[in-house]
Amino acid sequence: MRKYWNIGKLALKERLTYRGDFLFSTILRFLPMVTSILLWRAVYESSEQSELSGFSFKQLISYLLLVHVSRMFSSMPGLASNLARDIREGVIKRFLIQPVDMIGYLISYRVAHKIAYISTSILPYGLLFGSCWSFFDTFPSFKGMLCFPISLMIGFLIGFYFEAFLGILGFWFLEVTSLLYVVTTLSFFLSGHLIPLDLLDSSPLFSVLKHMPFAYLAYFPAAIFLQKVHDDELILRLVIGLGWALFFYLLCRIFLALGLKKYSAYGA
Amino acid sequence: MAFRGNFLLKVLVELIWLGILLLFFKTIFSKSSSVASWSEYEYLFFVGAYYALEGFVETFFLENCVEFSELVRSGNLDFFLLKPIDPQFYLTLRKVDWSTVPKIFLGAGMVWLAMIDLGKVVSLGTWFFFIVLFLCGCILAYSFLIMLTSLGVWMVRNQSLMEVWWLFSNLMRYPREIYNTPWAFPIRMVFGFMIPALLAISIPAEFVLKKIDVYTTIHMVISTIVFFCLSRWFFNYSLRHYRSASS
Repeated sequence: MRKYWNIGKLALKERLTYRGDFLFSTILRFLPMVTSILLWRAVYESSEQSELSGFSFKQLISYLLLVHVSRMFSSMPGLASNLARDIREGVIKRFLIQPVDMIGYLISYRVAHKIAYISTSILPYGLLFGSCWSFFDTFPSFKGMLCFPISLMIGFLIGFYFEAFLGILGFWFLEVTSLLYVVTTLSFFLSGHLIPLDLLDSSPLFSVLKHMPFAYLAYFPAAIFLQKVHDDELILRLVIGLGWALFFYLLCRIFLALGLKKYSAYGA
Repeated sequence: MAFRGNFLLKVLVELIWLGILLLFFKTIFSKSSSVASWSEYEYLFFVGAYYALEGFVETFFLENCVEFSELVRSGNLDFFLLKPIDPQFYLTLRKVDWSTVPKIFLGAGMVWLAMIDLGKVVSLGTWFFFIVLFLCGCILAYSFLIMLTSLGVWMVRNQSLMEVWWLFSNLMRYPREIYNTPWAFPIRMVFGFMIPALLAISIPAEFVLKKIDVYTTIHMVISTIVFFCLSRWFFNYSLRHYRSASS
């Protein structure tokens, strides 16, 4: 356990080296939020309804803000592409000779990156949430308050094991970048990053998407916070999410074992 | 076309983006019959024009501009400056990203489809002026991109600058009427007059679909000329501050 702790500490120091550039790009990422607020204000005003698919205007903006928090935990930039590159270039063979588990190494490295990311994001996110505080008129119930951080952790686990699985496919494909483009693009919509999945209630997609693992990457944590998931349903949703995390974990382990069997250590 | 598989996958990604854009658009109009006085098919026209403009910029300029800071960092910019050709022309137009060409035609297709659904017949003259204004929009977007790219001479790493470009394109994505709220007044002033991003798509689309006065049209043409000249001056100014890294 101590070695994974040390890996985490090193990754944390590495991440904090470029905090200035990181802070600037994080602030810029929030600016499109302004156009989203203006667009949805125009939609609500034109529709002359106070609620659309159960979301008031304020709740919808709160949702779009909370999605930033969900993605803070579930997004794994570079994980799959770096893993596939390490497989292609032969770097991965160090895990075959060193007494360290590859998935264990990657997850401790990623946890450290997330801690650094979240700690350096507190200031810009604090400013964003502070300036938009008037949009928050719905808060979770006591049960929802307990389930919200758990849903974020589940989002992290699904995001990590799903991306790691895509990277492991590098044992079979020389280049996974194009596949990643397709998956990332689809995930942007399917996870509820763009709009709450509830707004698709008139589409047959709706009932399917709510049960997919992508929904845990952005939609569910925000929906739990805004009481869009009924208290009686909360535990079931979290269990399903954990089931998806376990599914991708097993998929990673199985495909890693199969991949290592056929691995030829090119680049040695 | 040496990497056909990769090319086709990039086209597929663009098609998925278009699908997402249309699904987003359909979802909004399933809840409301209009948005900021734009009906469903008027808005489709707007989205189509935006998609075509984005395709135009990505096909001809974006990749070249993204590579600019790498040329500065490595010192390879020297080779481009030594050639007997206008540096801005050569540096921003030397590569064409063919995978985004379908976006221009898909955008044009959406514009055409919207016109059929609107049942609106417009004269050839109107289409001519629409194309002129659309090209003004492209030049505005290009000028802003050039100004961002020029900053690469000082900043070397321009990852964040591309995010500013994304913000700029985000401002063009919606009709300017959505900014008609008191707290958005500064945005409307800055991006409607000083950095006229809000005009790029709104004015060409309004010219065909709505009644706009001649002064607004002239405002767009003059803004384009001024902003283009400003960006060209800034690009040349940045090159004068370039310090070769290779020698």
